Amino acid sequence: MATQRVLPQSKETLLQNYNKRLRDDIRSILDNFTEIIKTAKVEDETQVSRATQGEQDHYEMQVRAANIVRAGESLMKLVSDLKQFLILNDFPSVNEAISLRNQQLRSLQEECDKKLISLRDEIATDLYELEEEYYSSSCGQWDGVELPLCEAFRRRDSWGFLDTSSEPGNSSTEELERPPAQEAIPRHLNGHGAGTGDQC
Amino acid sequence: MANERLRALEDVEKEIAIILHCAGTIVMELSKDKHNASLIDRQLTQFTGSVNRVENELSSQIRYLTQVATGQPHEGSTYSARKDCQMALNRAEYTRMKLGELARTCEIMLDPQT
Repeated sequence: MATQRVLPQSKETLLQNYNKRLRDDIRSILDNFTEIIKTAKVEDETQVSRATQGEQDHYEMQVRAANIVRAGESLMKLVSDLKQFLILNDFPSVNEAISLRNQQLRSLQEECDKKLISLRDEIATDLYELEEEYYSSSCGQWDGVELPLCEAFRRRDSWGFLDTSSEPGNSSTEELERPPAQEAIPRHLNGHGAGTGDQC
Repeated sequence: MANERLRALEDVEKEIAIILHCAGTIVMELSKDKHNASLIDRQLTQFTGSVNRVENELSSQIRYLTQVATGQPHEGSTYSARKDCQMALNRAEYTRMKLGELARTCEIMLDPQT
């Protein structure tokens, strides 16, 4: 059984109405224009006097010109209605517009997040250096309350050193228990080039 | 795709204005004692061409709408993407504000007069 897409009656009626309006307006423009051109022809023999005929022709032309203008305005209204119908019911274009807008918004969001993440990484690097400089100075002793970033990295590295090595000796345990100011210089130094014994 | 169809309808509106302008020019030329035949021919050609173009374009638009219209409302939305983007912009704004506060704090600390 052949499937036939059936529009709701209102939509089908509306589109048929659009077609009718288009045909009527175009016919009105052409017919009235043709009649104006015919009326413009000067005839030698008239049933009434020339003045009367002239007045009649003048009035007829005015009416027909007004009909042409009315048909033109009706066509403009039809175009406006078609634009509105298109915006509301042209699903392929609406879907495309929605997907394009979603794509733009998501790319903007990803770019924003990417920049924030890179900013975070830069600030984390600077913060590490600042904390290392501060806590390695005499006025920056760690009180053990908040773990600074440099200390966190240092401990992570020392745990990693312990995992890889096979010597569970007391020296490594003592090394962990020593306060940070007395530990050995960490492997990943900053650009200050702090070496052994440079701590103040 | 939608913009192309809407632009085509805008061009149709301009063509309708050209139709009326040509009709008026022809009638005005016919009202003169001496007619410019070439002008009348040109205007007439433009008039008939515009009428045909308007009729064909509007017919094709109505045919297309007959094929794609379903009668149901469209339920698509860009709300979720807009919300996510708005949250990202809020995060960036908050970061900017915090960095501004940090910069002001550093300036205050480094100002030798304080």
